[in-house]
Amino acid sequence: MTLLTKERTKIGQKYVEALRTRFGNSILDESWQAPDQVTVTVELNSLPEVVEMLYYQQGGWLASVAGNDERPLNGHFAMYYILSVEGSQENNSQDAEKAYVVVRVEIPPHKPEFPAVTPKVPAAIWYEREVRDMFGLQPVGLPDERRLVLPDDWPDELYPLRKDTMDYRFRPEPTTEEETYEFIKVEGEGIVQIPLGPLHITSDEPGHFRLYVDGENIVDADYRLFYVHRGMEKLAETRLHYDQVTFLADRICGICGYAHNVAYSTSIERALGIEVPERAEYIRTILLEVERLHSHLLNLGLACHFVGFDTGFMHFFRVREKTMKMAELLTGTRKTYGMNLIGGVRRDILKDQRVKVLQWLKELRGEVTDLVGMLLETPNIVQRTLNIGRLEPQVARDYSPVGPTLRGSGFARDIRVIHPYCAYDRVPWKLTYKDGCDVLARTLIRAEEFFESVSMVERCLDGMPEGPVLTEGFKYKPYQFALGYVEAPRGEDIHWSMLGDNQKLYRWKCRASSYNNWPALRYMLRGNMISDAALIVASIDPCYSCTERVTLVDVRKKDVTIVPYKEMERYCRERKDSPLKSANFGRIKAK
Amino acid sequence: MLKLIKEILRVGEATLPYPFAPIELSPGYRGKPQHDPELCIACAACAIACPSNALTMVTDLDQGFQTWSYFVGRCIYCARCEEVCPTGAIVLSSDFELAVMNKADLYEQADYKLAACRECGIYFAPVKEIQYVLALLEQSSLSAERLAQERSLLEVCPECRRKKDIPKLVSLYQEAI
Repeated sequence: MTLLTKERTKIGQKYVEALRTRFGNSILDESWQAPDQVTVTVELNSLPEVVEMLYYQQGGWLASVAGNDERPLNGHFAMYYILSVEGSQENNSQDAEKAYVVVRVEIPPHKPEFPAVTPKVPAAIWYEREVRDMFGLQPVGLPDERRLVLPDDWPDELYPLRKDTMDYRFRPEPTTEEETYEFIKVEGEGIVQIPLGPLHITSDEPGHFRLYVDGENIVDADYRLFYVHRGMEKLAETRLHYDQVTFLADRICGICGYAHNVAYSTSIERALGIEVPERAEYIRTILLEVERLHSHLLNLGLACHFVGFDTGFMHFFRVREKTMKMAELLTGTRKTYGMNLIGGVRRDILKDQRVKVLQWLKELRGEVTDLVGMLLETPNIVQRTLNIGRLEPQVARDYSPVGPTLRGSGFARDIRVIHPYCAYDRVPWKLTYKDGCDVLARTLIRAEEFFESVSMVERCLDGMPEGPVLTEGFKYKPYQFALGYVEAPRGEDIHWSMLGDNQKLYRWKCRASSYNNWPALRYMLRGNMISDAALIVASIDPCYSCTERVTLVDVRKKDVTIVPYKEMERYCRERKDSPLKSANFGRIKAK
Repeated sequence: MLKLIKEILRVGEATLPYPFAPIELSPGYRGKPQHDPELCIACAACAIACPSNALTMVTDLDQGFQTWSYFVGRCIYCARCEEVCPTGAIVLSSDFELAVMNKADLYEQADYKLAACRECGIYFAPVKEIQYVLALLEQSSLSAERLAQERSLLEVCPECRRKKDIPKLVSLYQEAI
């Protein structure tokens, strides 16, 4: 085992200095978890201004916010606002210092409230709603006070992630039979709210969309997710030990599970200063890119599907099978690779595997080049995606979306470049971003990233050093914490882990990439046609089976129409027989 | 369009005949774990490592049995059991067709006898585990005297061993003073 013993050069010190200059005594403490990771404890009342300064003046992006019940440790609740501070954004300059600056506040348990950051930094909206649900900490001044994660029938005073409230197996009695969630009201036209009755979940990841329409035009959108919140953080904190959590992290997402796995493992390794063998770093990089290959092919296939080019969809999926086989060959299984332990990986890549993967990559490059060519030659594709679902750069700046969604709006922001992890700073590769701001830009980015990933896997397989793949024999130290981050196919996954004193995590906050993309979706939908809605939602590449049902609210006729998602999909593909005109779907006249 | 038709013709049928013909799996594919009850020493390392509680170990102190059990329904085929097993009693096969007509068939069980403590008579460890430790000690070139000493220690439960050690420690302490 080798610990980080060399003198740490502190990257990001100047951001902390700037905070000290402006806020003086409000900065209470500063502790470094890694050379480019600092946690600054500030006075509670200065929280919004500190986060605002980091976000807008020092080029910060909100990566995540973690609440923590630290009453057993220091008598307080704590909040950690995790920002990736990247200096000036002008000309996408890559020169400024890039560091994770975590703003920490302590909240007294007798008065569990804090000044909301959302009015100053909109990107915090979902996080502050979540922290209120899970810890019972009130964000004062939060513009949206609805529940985010907890269901309507959850008891009011039961906060799942507090340490003294409940066992992870506890299931409280429902408090209500009805859905009580209030969807937003569109001003001026007086929308009638229609209760949608009991949940009707036909897919594994349901969500509820409500589109506000004027004729065929989308005026606004609202949606509700978290119907299948699984309580993984609580489970990890109370039942699993450190190595076991890697297998749970694999199951956060059915597409980019390995990205979560690496993010979690690196967070623990960073907290303890464990140095992972170089060969293991390369193997992780290879597998992360193999995961990106199959994920991007899936999304490109869906892009074909939604513009009515189903043959293309079939062929992208046929080719994608090769990437699934590649994962099976390298890890022993098609998904949920289960390759990481704290300290490295469990399987080496041997010569036979290397030769075969290199051959498959060559075939893939040819086949996908042809398919992408055919997709772009389809007359529909440009016509259906150009200037559709625009994510304006200013909206993107305010909401911190991630991945191709952000890179499609002109920001050259990829965690693999900004905070290199694994072997990304050791193999050459090219970052892709576009200025189109639309569905087309996001789709093209995925296509280009696919080829870049192919090259990257080739380079890693050729350049990986010999040696061990797993570091063992280190000791876990209680209450150390750090961040782990991975650029998953949809954007960065951020894990914040704090170790406990009983071989279990004290706190594990994992944030999947789509979490940061959902709040911005509302702005992408505005001003588009209903027939493009499914296409726009698909362009952020969310875990997709989610959107089982869509409600259309006609702002002029005050009609509410409930349309099954399948029908929205059909309309998107065929653009015939608008569901608004059809009598087949339940239409409820406003009173 | 022409390109696409050419591609379709070139590729032909992509669907595999499975399940009417066997499917080709990569070497090292992780399927259902195979347990060899003969090799198993009931040490419970697998049950501790198992992330999903598919493997469990239940101790019956009244009857003097320890039951190893495996439930396919919870298994995630991660091979942690294979990694931590000291005797190679669990090895992952490539078997993935695991559906059964009878739910009970999803469970596997093996019972192991526990050894009773020579002093207090309470069951404390699997017989096979103790035998395994003895066999290891015999291989480790200890003197005959030392080996006999270790053997007699292994017949006593940790609780009684502690009680027996106290007078010894007290006398050592007094000597030191």
